[in-house]
Amino acid sequence: MESLLMNILGAVTTFLLAFAVGMTYGGLRRKIVARVQNRYGPPFYQNFIDAFKLYSKSTAIHHGAMHFLGPAFIMVSSVVSLMFIPVLTNNQWFPNLNFQGDLIFLIYIMVFGPLGMALGAGQTGNPNSAIGVTRGLSQMVGFEIPWVMALIALMVQYKTTSITGLLDIQVQSGHWFMFENPFAFSAAILASLGMFRYSPFDIVGAPTELASGPMSENGGKFLFVMMSSGSVFAFVKLTLIVDLFMGGASNLIILVIKTFLLYMIPVTYGIVSPRYRTEQSITYFWGWPLFFGLIAIIYAVFF
Amino acid sequence: MYNDKNKQKIVDIIKNAARKHSLWVLAYGTGCGAIEVPATMTSRYDAERLGVRGAATPRQADVLLITGYLTVKTLKRVIRVYEQMQDPKYVIGFGSCTINGGMYFDSYNTINQLDLYLPVDVYISGCMPRPEAVLEGFGKLQELIGKGIANGAQQYKENLDFYRENQKKVIKNWDFQDYNW
Amino acid sequence: METLLEKIKDRVNANFDLKDYKIYTDLKRVDLFFNKEHIPSVLLYLKEQMGFRHLMHMSVVDWIEEGEFEIIFFLWAPKEKVKIFVKTRIDRDNPVMENMDNIWPQLNTYEREFKEMYGIEFPGLVAPEEFILESWSGPPPMRRDFETDKYAKDNFATRPGREDAQDVRETIAKRSGEDIPDFAKKYSR
Repeated sequence: MESLLMNILGAVTTFLLAFAVGMTYGGLRRKIVARVQNRYGPPFYQNFIDAFKLYSKSTAIHHGAMHFLGPAFIMVSSVVSLMFIPVLTNNQWFPNLNFQGDLIFLIYIMVFGPLGMALGAGQTGNPNSAIGVTRGLSQMVGFEIPWVMALIALMVQYKTTSITGLLDIQVQSGHWFMFENPFAFSAAILASLGMFRYSPFDIVGAPTELASGPMSENGGKFLFVMMSSGSVFAFVKLTLIVDLFMGGASNLIILVIKTFLLYMIPVTYGIVSPRYRTEQSITYFWGWPLFFGLIAIIYAVFF
Repeated sequence: MYNDKNKQKIVDIIKNAARKHSLWVLAYGTGCGAIEVPATMTSRYDAERLGVRGAATPRQADVLLITGYLTVKTLKRVIRVYEQMQDPKYVIGFGSCTINGGMYFDSYNTINQLDLYLPVDVYISGCMPRPEAVLEGFGKLQELIGKGIANGAQQYKENLDFYRENQKKVIKNWDFQDYNW
Repeated sequence: METLLEKIKDRVNANFDLKDYKIYTDLKRVDLFFNKEHIPSVLLYLKEQMGFRHLMHMSVVDWIEEGEFEIIFFLWAPKEKVKIFVKTRIDRDNPVMENMDNIWPQLNTYEREFKEMYGIEFPGLVAPEEFILESWSGPPPMRRDFETDKYAKDNFATRPGREDAQDVRETIAKRSGEDIPDFAKKYSR
């Protein structure tokens, strides 16, 4: 009983940590973008204010049941994938579900959110949402392939499909997979550029072109759920890459340093890039990232 | 326009503090005023440091910024956009044209007084208002929100008959559905 | 250049019943005046035979004193780089003009506009009923006898305070004790 309570408390703590870190990173990104554009920029806690304001707005939109479930699906996807990620290497406070094969499960559950959002956006009947969803799914076809290839390379190389297993191998040997299989790391990082959907890959929610795409009919509390699940999901992606390639983190400070450095890759790449068109985005992912993914698998099999 | 009691609960004070520092603006750029909005948002004047940010659709927006004159044709669309926005929502009338018609006061197809058709919280005078004036207008709106007296949306709900009558007088082919919150 | 313009005029004159003409050498432009019924054949001839393939614009002028509308077609020959203005007058009380959007399809848009703004009828024009004005019930607004001021006052409520609007120049001059210069006086109210 006590351990169950502790587990629930730990899950809530994990969620709050992910929410806070994700939101702060989003705010810092806005600040950095503003500084690069020679602006003063909003304060780093601006995202928290926005989220609270969105939460306090009324919601009088009704487009049917799927419209309500869409944001819930994204939230479920984010939270479930968060529960499978070991936040720290020796985690007392941040328990996670793990079993043999959870990495494969994670690949599926990370796609579940966008699919749920596609269903929700489809019911709003807004043409911008439909275009955004089409673009999002096409882009997902692009970046999922190098991403899955990078993970398969790791699974083949170390003969385990468990995230904690991969993490333990790194901790015991002291070698990060980032250097053990650099091709898999490159493929994963390039794929994560697309996962974050910052420019040049912001073709899904292009605000001036598509009126924010799938979110265009969602205001107020819907947008709050989407925003917070996006923040949690950003934390999930960053921590997963840290766990798989950078040897995890033994305490929170190291975790924050590592994830922030990782986060700067899509942010800085995004600041200096204009937006791609859909086919450019897909061909980008089927270029070098796919090549690195293939090399990673060949490297994992033969070396 | 002003609250009778002018009293706020503690919850409202917290909510209003968040609202006033996070204004998502839907700029309805029909007139020449649309050219001042990019200047306000970009690096020289940078409205984002005050929490003012562009919103993509009416569903996400808090502030409807009406930049310039409104013809009868665009007024119909503006009313529709306004009614799609979610509470709490505010309207800023931007430029002389929204106040008394400006230079289009004797035009055959432009309305002269915006506040007969929509509840305006803040007017920004000028033809054109410079970005400093626009930021001043946003500051005034933030002040009103902080005091809890920027309740144009509530006014619209309470006096819906008055607004509907005025709107129907101008818009001849009225084919709206009833407003439901 | 003048010989070219003269030649154009002569060639049109030989084929059609030219009422009047004007030649602007410095503007590389010929104005040709016709009766209303010759216009379609003239435009077709200019387009197909003389290389004036580009319709720049179509315009209407309201000559209220003479009771007529003047309709002008602005044509351009890309090869010779010469303009032709084809002008005609129609009756103002019964304004009917032939529909010519089979010569240039873009005339369709112009004709819709003039139908709405001047009330000129184009028999056989296939276009939606409304162009710019939605559910307009008044007279065509671009005619010169349409009183916009009165219409605006009747239909749109005006905010009080405009009536005693003063001339800014005079107000400033009075306040600072200056005289308005003579050249500016004619612009004062």
